[in-house]
Amino acid sequence: MASQKKDDKPTAESKPEAPATEQQRKPASLEEDDEFEDFPVEGLFSPFRHWDQEETEAGAGAGDATQHLWEESWDDDDTSDDFSTQLKEELKKVEAARKR
Amino acid sequence: MSLVAQFLTSIRGFVLEQNGEELRNWLLVENDVANIYFDMASELKASFPENSQALEKLVEKCLPEEDDVPEGKGSPWPGFNSFVKDYLEYWRDVDFEDLVRLHARLSSLVLSCANALANPTYGVMLLPTSMSLSESLSKLVMGLNRQPQLLAEIEGDVAGDEGGERKSIVELAADIIQKIFTSCLTDRSSTRWSPPKGKKVAVYLFANLTLKLLFACDKSRLAVQMFTNLSTSGPALSLYPASQRVTFLYYLGRFNFDTGHYPRAEMCLAEAYRQCPPAFQKHRRQILTYWIPANLLLGRFPSWTLLQRPEAAGFADIFLPICAAVRSGNFVAFHQALNQNRDWLWDRGFYLTLLYRLKPLVWRSFTRKIFLITWQGSASTGSESSGSKTNPSSSAAAAEGTKAAVLSLEDVVTCAEYVQKLLEGYMPTKSPSNHHHNPHKANPLLLRAIANNATHSPAAHAPWQLIPPPGRQPKRLMPSEGLIFGNRRPDLENIEVVVAGLVYQGLLNGFVARQQKRFAVEGAKRKGGNAVAAGWPPPYEALTERFREAWQEAVEACDEGGGYEGAEPPGEMDEVPGSPWIWRSPGWAVFLSSLDRTAVMAGP
Repeated sequence: MASQKKDDKPTAESKPEAPATEQQRKPASLEEDDEFEDFPVEGLFSPFRHWDQEETEAGAGAGDATQHLWEESWDDDDTSDDFSTQLKEELKKVEAARKR
Repeated sequence: MSLVAQFLTSIRGFVLEQNGEELRNWLLVENDVANIYFDMASELKASFPENSQALEKLVEKCLPEEDDVPEGKGSPWPGFNSFVKDYLEYWRDVDFEDLVRLHARLSSLVLSCANALANPTYGVMLLPTSMSLSESLSKLVMGLNRQPQLLAEIEGDVAGDEGGERKSIVELAADIIQKIFTSCLTDRSSTRWSPPKGKKVAVYLFANLTLKLLFACDKSRLAVQMFTNLSTSGPALSLYPASQRVTFLYYLGRFNFDTGHYPRAEMCLAEAYRQCPPAFQKHRRQILTYWIPANLLLGRFPSWTLLQRPEAAGFADIFLPICAAVRSGNFVAFHQALNQNRDWLWDRGFYLTLLYRLKPLVWRSFTRKIFLITWQGSASTGSESSGSKTNPSSSAAAAEGTKAAVLSLEDVVTCAEYVQKLLEGYMPTKSPSNHHHNPHKANPLLLRAIANNATHSPAAHAPWQLIPPPGRQPKRLMPSEGLIFGNRRPDLENIEVVVAGLVYQGLLNGFVARQQKRFAVEGAKRKGGNAVAAGWPPPYEALTERFREAWQEAVEACDEGGGYEGAEPPGEMDEVPGSPWIWRSPGWAVFLSSLDRTAVMAGP
């Protein structure tokens, strides 16, 4: 009887304890800002309870959303900027010196 | 009945029911537990002294091995009992104030748990407990890693025992967690390509936990073994939940980045980003932090669309000046852009990588710019008014006539010498009446102001002058700060080497004619006579093509090698040991893209 009562105790106390521990783990001071935090998903061991494909860019129109994220042609054809002008003048100067 | 006996009775109940979740909920190790754990600890101290067999006997008595186990039920096993005994001893001896001792105790407890988990029949019920204990150990080690004094104390004790081989506590903890990982990896309940069962469900959970620990402690290189194991026998990542995939791809991307495999780093991080919903902004930001530099190194710049996303806040200030400097071929601006956010870049390991690896792209733009202002061919896209016959242009190009698409290397030397002076602290300025005052005595701040204002003043059309640095002493440059090497003055030979290097990398299309001291562009006809487009192909295409070629060559060399059946191909791409979906064929890209369609398992 006594055992029955005491047996319940850890159950009662540790059950609500578990989620509390989980919560404390996430913002723990040990973790830096830069850390890739654990995803707050349920059922770590039940593989099918995360997010759906529709919620991601991979799902939404398969890649369209990520298509305009990068510039591949970025060459600068402007040669009227200060730096270009300086180079032009330097070339001219050295060329003139060579001819002398 | 004592608390210990009651505890054991409950544990037995969970084992018989194979209730892994409850085992985890009960087998707690951190100090934020219910008081009853401390009561039990006192009881253990009082009744079960060290060196006594009493505890072991009690465990055996309370957790007898079942003879006849019905289907779906479980039974205690020797490894489990040994773990439970260790667990009780942990609580008997634990002192949360004494981190050194806590570390030793917790390490051996997790190891004991790993041994119990290895049981092929019942071990699987300890998975959740293994996870929570490993998390606790990992947290403790990450904390200790930031306390050098304690770290030295522990590493002196623990690592010294290994007969000369000194391992850091990070490595020791990673070894223990990897033992659990291996147990999961080698579980035979399911194959590599079928939905995971048994311990296999936790392969990527433990992989990710290990990676988190290693990366947090700057020991990412220790992940090689794990990646190798995964690439040999790891189950398909696409069979695992989205959060695990994203986390794994993030770390694999960072690992590839750290080992210089930027195309793969880019692919992994791209997938991680794409599969991570926008709601997880912090995660996306972390991914972007590495994805942007990976793209820069492949010659792709982040677009405004990307930089305006909430997860990219502040990144424009860091990366846009770098992109602008690369685009304009301006070495001074390039160094300034990197130094502007040096600490941020340095802390993440980007500073040196970007400094050395982006330099070829700056050289590419620099030579392109010189070509634009010197070449007098028909397809010149230069917009300068002086782009015609009056152009200063090089002797070489002028002598050749207007069509031959060549870049005079001597012109490049001239421009390089000029840039080297800028790097050494010479300041460009416009002084319309420089014979009226001595520029060397002028206030540099004033000169700078004049220079900045030049376009709006009458001096706008005056020629540029270089003002020597104060004291006329060129600034002493570190090797990396100079154009070639510190204060070394660039000469023809250096420039030839640089240009040849750019050609080799595919960033320039043509050849170096040494006799003529020129770089000759090839394939202008194919580009409709546009020599600039022909000679300076888009960097992203060029760089990814170069990586692909290297990979292809390695694959072919391996296939033709004979006698190396099953050997990993050598060469560039092979150094990425760990991608389970990237195989010995160029088809890996296809596999990865198929990941998109099949990967995300929508939950019921």
